[in-house]
Amino acid sequence: MKSNRLERLLAFCAIVILTIAVLTACGSPSSDQTADESFDSEKSSSDSTVLTFAWWGNQVRNDLTQKANEKYHELNSGVTVQGSFYQWSDYWSKMATQSAGKQMPDIIQMDLSYIDQYVSNGQLLDLTPYIESGALDTSKIDENVLLMGKVGEGNYGIPAGVNVMCLFYDKAITDSVGVTIEDNMTFDAFVEIAKKITAETGYRAKLIYDANYMRDWARAEGISIQKAQMPVDSADAYIPFFQILETGVAEGWHTTPDVMTGNAIEMEPLVYGSTPETMSWCTLNGGSNQLTALQKAAKEGQEITVSTIPTKDPIKSNYLKPSMFFSISADTKNPDAAVAFLNYLINSKEANDILLGERGVPINTDIAEYIYDKITPGEQKVVKFVTEVVAPNCSPIDPPDPKGSSELNAALRDIVEKVGFGEYTAEQAAQEYFTRGTEIFSETGQ
Amino acid sequence: MNSIQKLSRWLNREGVAGVVFSLPFIIGFLLFLAVPMGLSLTYSFCNYDILSPARFTGLSNYIKIFTNDQTFISSVKATFYFALVSVPLRLVFALIVALILVRPTKAVGFYRAAYYLPSIIGGSVAISVLWRRMFAVDGVVNSLLTLAGIPANLNWLSNTRTAIWTLIVLAVWQFGSSMLIFLAALKQIPVSLYEAAEIDGATAGKTFFNVTLPLLTPTIFFNLVMQTINGFLAFTQSLIITDGRPLNTTLFYAVYMYRQAFQYGNAGYAAALAWVMLAFIGILTFILFQTKKYWVYRQD
Repeated sequence: MKSNRLERLLAFCAIVILTIAVLTACGSPSSDQTADESFDSEKSSSDSTVLTFAWWGNQVRNDLTQKANEKYHELNSGVTVQGSFYQWSDYWSKMATQSAGKQMPDIIQMDLSYIDQYVSNGQLLDLTPYIESGALDTSKIDENVLLMGKVGEGNYGIPAGVNVMCLFYDKAITDSVGVTIEDNMTFDAFVEIAKKITAETGYRAKLIYDANYMRDWARAEGISIQKAQMPVDSADAYIPFFQILETGVAEGWHTTPDVMTGNAIEMEPLVYGSTPETMSWCTLNGGSNQLTALQKAAKEGQEITVSTIPTKDPIKSNYLKPSMFFSISADTKNPDAAVAFLNYLINSKEANDILLGERGVPINTDIAEYIYDKITPGEQKVVKFVTEVVAPNCSPIDPPDPKGSSELNAALRDIVEKVGFGEYTAEQAAQEYFTRGTEIFSETGQ
Repeated sequence: MNSIQKLSRWLNREGVAGVVFSLPFIIGFLLFLAVPMGLSLTYSFCNYDILSPARFTGLSNYIKIFTNDQTFISSVKATFYFALVSVPLRLVFALIVALILVRPTKAVGFYRAAYYLPSIIGGSVAISVLWRRMFAVDGVVNSLLTLAGIPANLNWLSNTRTAIWTLIVLAVWQFGSSMLIFLAALKQIPVSLYEAAEIDGATAGKTFFNVTLPLLTPTIFFNLVMQTINGFLAFTQSLIITDGRPLNTTLFYAVYMYRQAFQYGNAGYAAALAWVMLAFIGILTFILFQTKKYWVYRQD
């Protein structure tokens, strides 16, 4: 009896030991990445470094970036860059789990809406010392652009490219009605044109959808969100925003939510749909670097082009924004090598010969000029639009989105849908947006 | 006796061998079920965003779920509607097809495989993308309706009344696994009962309702429980086909949970949502088991 119990105890201990063994085995060298790290810590003395680099994106970006990584290895035989790429939402799940395990890739593509969160958790490397020492050459980068990566006292991200919010429209439709969309036009002028186009062609305008247009509108009003709290004291401030949609739908010139099934470019009503009732003549959907994608998705006879967002104050509304950042993980074992690679991505002709501004207009002004002749006319149009139309006529970007913004934007998306379907009045919508925002920020700010 | 023999003798004792053979399961259970569940329960009482360490906040997540979360209510409504409509429809469909396919004809093997196929691929991303295109404004469904003489220009996926039905149709289409279970059960029904019914002069309808259906009730019960649980956990369709739109009428619970955890950075809140879902499913399954004695046939 007693020995039997002892055996069971022994067997149980065996299980526990095995479990621990398995657990620790998963914990260390099973993933490629940590294998790399142990590899490079052994070999770093013999000048062989492996850097890991992760980004989100599309097939074009994946191919180009992989090529740029290989080119870097050709130029610096001691360094290999291992790329890994994901879709947007998978990317952030992956980064969240990797950062929790202190296993983030050395170089990470970072977004404006996440950078604040990662910095406040101490997961990104402050680049200021490298900028000061010149290891990261910023001599050809505009001071305002460089400031985009500033969070608190440090600089944690170098913009991979510059981008602006813009209005995409089908010039074939405006031409057929005999109107022209002027850059920096006022909001009232836009509404007049929109009414005329709907009356004559049946096509409607798509302005407010998801969380689009809120920031552009709020900047013009001087009430965009700066930190984790609602910038106004009362919901009334938001009524005019929802009134745009409410009256637009009532008067017929604004699209209703039933023509839209998401923000994916291939489903964008500007280029997708069969009749004027199911399409729109203009849209706000992402930044100016989406122009080529929209042009590719366009039907025959369409002429998709770009202008500024209709607003009562273009200078206040418009801003240059980083299409995305390159950041370096605080966990990196090779900060110097990672910075050198970052420098290559931003400042070298070799890298940008391959990347060709796919991540937005290059921030190094020499490089932007250098690639201009190598890109398509559509892309040239974007570069011109960013540098000549918006850049001279804009104000600085808002601070990075505080935590809770993505949840507030999701709430806004639901509210906008309700206004579009006529379930909410502008007053109800404003009240709900304000209440939800106050709640969300009070929770995240705890 | 050398040590290897000793070890082998020790290993061969009943108490030890039993434990050793069940090790793979025990380890799997501990690592992939017990530990994650324990963690999830802990996080459900915390404010946790995955990135920074969790902070204990007591019951606040649960309180918020039940007192102040409109989206929770929408997602529960959508999920219940979906599960409670699609599961019975799917079972009826599976039963009808099983009744047809139980007859031994030459091509029956092919048809069984063909009808089973949707259940294997139905939950996949590819089918979801296909579905989205089929029900798009210029998709196959509208084109076919127009060809059939009904001019259709409906955006099925963003209409508040039709959106959830595109998902239900997809779910019903995946009737294959229930069908296979029905097929097996149909073959278990003793032929003697049918012969007796025939001798007594029962019509086909009477035979079905008085012989086939009662003897199938245990299988129907099993399918009902399993499919209801699966229905509550549906995820891919809602995420990819409709993204919860319009007006959250297709926002399934699992998608809402995913959004809270990975998009809004509220993993603690999502963990609490998961436990609430577990309770829902538990209660529902319990109720189903309670109804068992009223309609499920027991062979004693």
